[in-house]
Amino acid sequence: MKQGTFWSWVVFIAGAIYFFLPLIATFEFSMRARRGVYSFDAYRSVLADPQFRDTLSYSVVLALLTIVLGLAIVTPTAFWVRLKLPRLRPYIEFITLLPLVIPPIVIVFGYIRLYNTASYLPLTGSLRGTDFLLMCGYATLSLPYMYRAVDTGLRSIDLVTMTEAAQSLGASWTTIILRLVLPNVLVAILSGAFLTFAIVIGEYVLAALLNRPAFGPYMVWMGGNRAYEPAALAVIAFAITWACMGLIQLLTRFQKHTSKKR
Amino acid sequence: MTIASHTDTSPRRSPLALPGWSWNWLGVVPFALFALLFLILPTIQIVFGAFRTPEGDITLRNIAGLMEPNILHAAWVSIKLSLISALGGCIIGLGLAIAVIRGGLPSVLRDATMTFSGVASNFAGVPLAFAFIATLGRLGIVTLLLRDLLGINLSALGFNLISFTGLTLAYLYFQIPLMLLIIAPALDGLKREWREAAESLGAEGIEYWRRVALPVLWPSLLGTFALLFANAFGAVATAMALTGSSLSIIPIILFAQIRGDVLQDPHLGYAIAFGMIAITGIANLIYIILRSRAERWLK
Amino acid sequence: MAFLQLKSLIKSFGPVRVVQEFNLDVARGEFVSLLGPSGCGKTTVLRMVAGFESPTSGQIIIDGADVTGLRPSQRNVGLVFQSYALFPNLTVAGNIAFGLKVARKPSDEIATRVKDMLKLIGLPDLGERYPFELSGGQQQRVALARALAVRPRVLLLDEPLSALDAKIRVSLRDQIRDIQRELGITTIFVTHDQEEALSISDRVVVMNKGRADQIGTPHEIYNKPKTEFVANFVGTLNAFTAVVTHAAKGTIKVNDTAITVPHLREMQLTNGAQVKLGLRPEALHVGKQPAPATNLPATVEDVHFLGSVIRLRVRLGDEVMSIDTFNRSTEKPPVIGGKTTISLNPTDLILIQ
Repeated sequence: MKQGTFWSWVVFIAGAIYFFLPLIATFEFSMRARRGVYSFDAYRSVLADPQFRDTLSYSVVLALLTIVLGLAIVTPTAFWVRLKLPRLRPYIEFITLLPLVIPPIVIVFGYIRLYNTASYLPLTGSLRGTDFLLMCGYATLSLPYMYRAVDTGLRSIDLVTMTEAAQSLGASWTTIILRLVLPNVLVAILSGAFLTFAIVIGEYVLAALLNRPAFGPYMVWMGGNRAYEPAALAVIAFAITWACMGLIQLLTRFQKHTSKKR
Repeated sequence: MTIASHTDTSPRRSPLALPGWSWNWLGVVPFALFALLFLILPTIQIVFGAFRTPEGDITLRNIAGLMEPNILHAAWVSIKLSLISALGGCIIGLGLAIAVIRGGLPSVLRDATMTFSGVASNFAGVPLAFAFIATLGRLGIVTLLLRDLLGINLSALGFNLISFTGLTLAYLYFQIPLMLLIIAPALDGLKREWREAAESLGAEGIEYWRRVALPVLWPSLLGTFALLFANAFGAVATAMALTGSSLSIIPIILFAQIRGDVLQDPHLGYAIAFGMIAITGIANLIYIILRSRAERWLK
Repeated sequence: MAFLQLKSLIKSFGPVRVVQEFNLDVARGEFVSLLGPSGCGKTTVLRMVAGFESPTSGQIIIDGADVTGLRPSQRNVGLVFQSYALFPNLTVAGNIAFGLKVARKPSDEIATRVKDMLKLIGLPDLGERYPFELSGGQQQRVALARALAVRPRVLLLDEPLSALDAKIRVSLRDQIRDIQRELGITTIFVTHDQEEALSISDRVVVMNKGRADQIGTPHEIYNKPKTEFVANFVGTLNAFTAVVTHAAKGTIKVNDTAITVPHLREMQLTNGAQVKLGLRPEALHVGKQPAPATNLPATVEDVHFLGSVIRLRVRLGDEVMSIDTFNRSTEKPPVIGGKTTISLNPTDLILIQ
């Protein structure tokens, strides 16, 4: 037992070094912009760059829209399938897992070919159309995470019994969804939403191939043209991801507290 | 009883419903439409395109076009990269998971590790490349520290971040945490009683892991491996940002093909994309077959 | 000399002492139950014998050898859990063969032993099934076979029946006892179910707050409980207080009724002292009985029909007591509110101290 604990420490510390070194290094590197002393020059220059603000806000808006779209598609479907069409569940689940198997680059390639200017639905013909396509692409990428989060949330509340109980007490469908289902899966929905946010913010391939000015392509462009700013961007991107995950953790912990009272 | 009779007569079926026919399926139409338009049709477009000439005739020439040495080489590098990073991710991730969950470490470390894994598994892409450049690049902190403090010159030793090894090292940064996230619940599913039963029957330590724990975990391990493989195989951003296009792996070649737009043969892009689907598809097929074998003892 | 000896076992988790000064000698082939409410330390004692907890102090001796410091894998002790804990990845035969394979026995020997074991537990044809394909009762029998296959010196059963349905619980209980007798294996059985403990044990240890309150045969435990806890925990007990009116004669007074209790004479009580007495429900009778029985007037407050037995709640003055009477189809059952006379035999009174 003692010996086992010793090796556990060894493995853990080795892992911690591997995972923390790049973070420390990135931070250190981002401070090296001024010769000989540590400074926040790289951050200053990034923050002063109008492109930074434009691309980041573009990505943030897109992420929020993606979340709305994703929830609008996933939540009612997951709810309905659990309640009325349980036999369809394996098939729906299979479809939602496909984006993990089909590489994003292949999916976006399909978009470009399917929705080009000569097609029935020439989405890539206009900027708004391309934005919409990009949003749909992101919603597709987040499908596995979103569906899983919401479905897990629904599973934990025994939907059928609860709905029947509510109906027997005279509740309408609107009441059931707004007062019973939503509050119970809210945490799950929010977790999915934050995860989607984290994925969309730094995404590169889709945005680059659809030629939209998102944060991901901007970071790559900076990487090719600047020395220290990319590190600063990485720190910022990491902070955003961390904030999203932190919020998920906070939410799940909050949920644990409320559901313990059962 | 009153509840049961009430639900039976409750307005579950719409008044329009014919006996044996239900409008319930209408509820999944939005989802089905979305999946069709933005997931299934684009994929079918690729698959069909791979077997058609620009004029629309059926052909195998596009697929034959994949047999060029540079594409085959890139495919091989991609498969190798995905296999090694997935294998590494699985083994190291499992080791870390065991250490953190079963190794007698304080439970605070477990929570911290899981939270961190949630972040790190999503830290793929461009920022990850920058982080590794800042760590092991030519001016990276580790490179400099090794040179200045220990006199070790990494590049003289043959290490180059912009290489297969470097990329594998970077990929592990999101592969290991992904493994941790997926395998942790499976490890929690190992009952304490199994271990105790094994011990009282004379099997402890390695023997317990070999005979009980690993076989029980095997389906999860296989599944995670397939997922990690696909994850690495389709990844573009990290490699692009880290190596530019100096390391030729399949997704980067496809990226260049799509971006370039001026292809001698635009349908070669289809063929490459189809090849990618085929490989991740085969990987998953193998996984499904292996899993159904490994899961004979599961319901 | 006893085959399994537990000597002054003490176990503390931090500041909490869960087992205190526990002593027990188990003879070879004996079946001993540890009975008590949850948290009384019975499982901890079992886990110390198995080697999963090391005692804070004290000794565990099996067949003359001190095993206190040995690891579980070195003790050759069979263990059966409440949750069966069969290895899900192995077939029934694979589970039973597990310990033999670990011990690297020759494969033909393993095959014969597995076959014997399957026959012993009455599942000769289920060797190739996986645990999930079996019912709870079958799984627990396989778990028993797995523990017994390595011919352990001691068999430890940790609430093995608690997860099962009532009917299966009784039949498996009898089966466990049969197998134990057939193999003559020294067995410790942990349970919180007093009926279970009384029905299959050679001796029962009633545990309370980490201590052994009483160790004795089921007969002794039920009829001569040494402490109030034992009296209350094992079976149903009507408890009431009485005043000693004539210590030398053993006369006491309950609700103005004087009763002379022969076995109280030896107890050296003092006149006027209050004593606590107990009476089992089956020791009370409905209807008058001749002396030396005492007859008391009572009112029926409640009637519970339990099948072979009818349990009455009757009021005698301030006391409410339970009475068990056999259900005879020819007799009319008592009615609630009815007046009746109940009788008791003074020798059935239990003095609780």
